[in-house]
Amino acid sequence: MTHEIDRLPEGSAPEPAIRTEHLTKIYGQRLIAVNDMNLCVPRGSVFGLLGPNGAGKTTTLRLLLGLQRPTAGRAEVFGRPCGPNAVAVRARIGYLPTNPKLPEDLRPIEYLDLLGKLTRLPREVRRPRVASLLRAVGLLDATEQRIGTFSTGMCTRLGIAASLVGDPPLLIWDEPTAGLDPAARRFTLDLIRELGKTKTIVIATHILSDIDQVCDHLGVMHEGRMIFSGPMQDIQRRMGREDFTLELEGEPEDFSRLLRETAHLEGIEVRVRDGARETQNTASLQVRIADGRPRATALAEVLRLVDTCRLALRAVHSGQNATENAYLQLLQEDEAHGFHR
Amino acid sequence: MDSTVEALAPGTKWMPYLAILGHDLRALWTSRLVRLWLGATALVTLLLVAANWTKYQDATLIASLLFPYLVFPWFFVVVVLGVSPVSGTRAEVLADGILSRPVSRREYLLAAWSARVVLVLGVYLVVTIPALAVVTLAKRPVPDDTVTLWGLAGALVVVGLVLTFLVSLGFLAGTLLRKPLLAAVVLVFVWYPIGVVLNAFSLEEFSPISLSRAMATQLRRPWHAADAQTPSQTKAEDLEALARLREHFFNVFSPAPSQAAAARPEFFESETFRDFSVLRVVLGYGLPSLISVVLTLVFFQRRDL
Repeated sequence: MTHEIDRLPEGSAPEPAIRTEHLTKIYGQRLIAVNDMNLCVPRGSVFGLLGPNGAGKTTTLRLLLGLQRPTAGRAEVFGRPCGPNAVAVRARIGYLPTNPKLPEDLRPIEYLDLLGKLTRLPREVRRPRVASLLRAVGLLDATEQRIGTFSTGMCTRLGIAASLVGDPPLLIWDEPTAGLDPAARRFTLDLIRELGKTKTIVIATHILSDIDQVCDHLGVMHEGRMIFSGPMQDIQRRMGREDFTLELEGEPEDFSRLLRETAHLEGIEVRVRDGARETQNTASLQVRIADGRPRATALAEVLRLVDTCRLALRAVHSGQNATENAYLQLLQEDEAHGFHR
Repeated sequence: MDSTVEALAPGTKWMPYLAILGHDLRALWTSRLVRLWLGATALVTLLLVAANWTKYQDATLIASLLFPYLVFPWFFVVVVLGVSPVSGTRAEVLADGILSRPVSRREYLLAAWSARVVLVLGVYLVVTIPALAVVTLAKRPVPDDTVTLWGLAGALVVVGLVLTFLVSLGFLAGTLLRKPLLAAVVLVFVWYPIGVVLNAFSLEEFSPISLSRAMATQLRRPWHAADAQTPSQTKAEDLEALARLREHFFNVFSPAPSQAAAARPEFFESETFRDFSVLRVVLGYGLPSLISVVLTLVFFQRRDL
């Protein structure tokens, strides 16, 4: 796919790919699915929409597509308002629903050709694109099969191809790795990385490792509210979780000695990671470095003490589970501040 | 329509409509319900023609062929076909597959409605027209009748309009009630006593029973006399035959139909049906069909998927 990100003249403020203002959706005066949500997804970003089940992620996406109408507030995609008849908005969105429901009686070529017609693609554009998409998602061997015989992974891959038929500049994928085996999951994440070079992508998921691997921006939803939105570095920095984890091997008394020695280091906190003591002779230590302390120097001091204490260094990890920690802390904070809202 | 769509290549404006129409027609054609219906209509038509070949004059026999479409049982199939496109699990599939694409809800609804109307009228005409041709052209051992081409066309249009109205009504009910079964049941309860309701508003000429009774008159009506004052062309035996047919629909294929007495007609007291007007029926069913489609569009626009 060669669609370029819509670029504006030098110096002009770029219109975000998605902007919502006080977006609210209430079902039947009973359930608040989306609550006063302000969201800004920059052009060219791979935006992860993260939240537990029922947080309002899918409802938000359906509001953007005009499949549902907001109770209050507004949503815009590339500066155009969303709504049931916003055909121009949907022409610029490629949508992949969770576990896409596809017409079982059709074959993949027929289905993609139908979608190409819905996107108003002329035949001379449509036919080659359908063929290249089927090749790109690895379904060329399945063109004779009816969709009803497809596995979950094949359906997802066909759904991905379907979202790309119109070559839209914005992709909205709802839980694209749900129900996939490891190989299919790897394929999907690689595809997101590749497409992210030329398109804006929004991925709604509750799988943190997916977000960690492919996203550069993150929005965290909880109970219909957007409790964080910004670059990935911001959420990790905000939580002060840019730690190191050391995997060490040695005698128990040497571990104790290391912990005593590191307690005297200024701006450095070393502790055994919760539940990480594997055996009597191995352990994972978490090294937290205070803001303003040079990280390389601090780590060098800790490693010197490891050597002094005759412990063997098996591995060093940086920022291990940073997003997970940050995410869980955000949710806890949001729960705790419930009464203040 | 917005600027992106307007800027697209010429000739692509109707592409989504035609794509959905083609897809729906194909899906409907492969459905068991439609296949069964087509087989059943063909079988019933064949049996009616065969059983009444030597009994009824052309107009009476043709009216008896059209009777199942107006009263029972095909109206139920037509209603169910109309109900399905925007209700139940299909709504979810269409939201994911079609309405998340650059297609307006109006385009989708009109295409889905057109597909159902085309299919219903197609099944109706593909079975009825050959039967009518055989009945009118074949030499049968019954007295000659004066069925006219205009009368035949008018009768087909009237029944076609009733079927279109039923599809539209199913569409509206499916959109409003969301559950296909509930919508179908509600429509059955609405359609069966429709004669009583129309009678209450002095519109009994539009009731399906009245239409089926007036069909013989319409079939014998010459072009110039259409909608004008014409002498009575309905014969007493037509009324008796139709009454028998109505009351013993499923016994009509038996070699010796029971001799039940014809009920006294409650509508068109003169029993001449001189005031039967194709134009009025066209308006009487065409306008409500149009209103049903417009209301469906309005309700569907406001609906969350």
